[in-house]
Amino acid sequence: MKEMFKITISLVIIFVAAGIIMASVFAKTSPIKAAAEKREKEEALKRLMPEAEAIKEAGKWEPFGKHAEYYDGIKDGKAVGYIASTYGKGYSSYISILVAVNPALKVKKISILGHGETPGLGDEIEQEYFLKRFEGKSLDQLVVVKVEGTDKIQAISGATISSRAVTNGVKEAVKLLKEKYQGGQVAEQ
Amino acid sequence: MQSNKSYLQIVKNGIFAENPIFRVALSLCPAVAVTSGVKNGFLMGIAVLFVQVMANVTVSVVRKFIHPRVRIPSYMFIIATWVTVIDLVMAAFARDVYKQMGLYIQLIVAFAIILSRAELFASKNKVTPSFFDGLGMGIGFLFALVVISFFRELLGKGSLWGMPIVDFKPLLIMILPTGGFFAVGLLMGLFNWIDIRFFGGGGASGGGH
Repeated sequence: MKEMFKITISLVIIFVAAGIIMASVFAKTSPIKAAAEKREKEEALKRLMPEAEAIKEAGKWEPFGKHAEYYDGIKDGKAVGYIASTYGKGYSSYISILVAVNPALKVKKISILGHGETPGLGDEIEQEYFLKRFEGKSLDQLVVVKVEGTDKIQAISGATISSRAVTNGVKEAVKLLKEKYQGGQVAEQ
Repeated sequence: MQSNKSYLQIVKNGIFAENPIFRVALSLCPAVAVTSGVKNGFLMGIAVLFVQVMANVTVSVVRKFIHPRVRIPSYMFIIATWVTVIDLVMAAFARDVYKQMGLYIQLIVAFAIILSRAELFASKNKVTPSFFDGLGMGIGFLFALVVISFFRELLGKGSLWGMPIVDFKPLLIMILPTGGFFAVGLLMGLFNWIDIRFFGGGGASGGGH
């Protein structure tokens, strides 16, 4: 009985002490982390559309049931392009992507915000050479192919699933922007 | 296990005689999972080195206080606390490194090598030797990860630390998990051969996970 009491006390003290340490570290670091993440997103938006004077949030949408937003890039009171944040369902994670399009709704540039793909294979999607394959593509060109060429999106060897995930995420985003910014006009004509 | 060994010997023991991966064969999951590139292997090794040292020191400090019958849950909790602290601090202050390593850090909690050193060494020794044991084991682990990832990245991707060396991928299989087992097994054999051939040892036959 006495031993049981000792064991309990020993465990409780260790767990409480560890809990206090973790809680205080969390309390100190979480606002800094949140601020850093916000700043990173803003920087990524600016990098995608350096010519815009202001990037304003225009609305929210839900790709794959996740929360995401889309933005207007404005210069001299006119839209010079649109940006949507989107997700792709990859091999082992949801890939968070930002897609910038020009007013003609062709992809200008994309950027990977975060992912949890296989290191060494899937994480090739972060490489510049792959991101460049999206530039200038229109909605119906956003298809993954396994042969060389610049007309469609060429998959990364060894990472077809991750390549397809990024492409589908971008495709959803372009589709959305098309509905929001062109769908209405087309219907009126 | 109260030894008279010098601190240098304790450190050396972790790097060569009881190298966590090549001799003791513990923590082979990360040795296969994160060694697809030298950079990944190196960063993982650094994180493990840090956790190993901190866990060893903490366990050694509280070793008289921990009730022997609940020592394993206590060690696990100490390790988990340090891993969480590192994860939170890095997420806030070292964003660039965290983006590279965030995927792996939380896995360290379950690494066999850290728990095994807490149980085998830190719980029976004073704080200073425990510190050096953690340092030696951490460096040994780091060394093993860098060696494995050097061959895997060079053969599997034709690059080193992300820098292209050759223009093609000589052996794509080497960066897949299969190639990881090949690399670990062949290197383990090589180290055994060196041990038997030049130092007259008996070779190692570890077993773990």
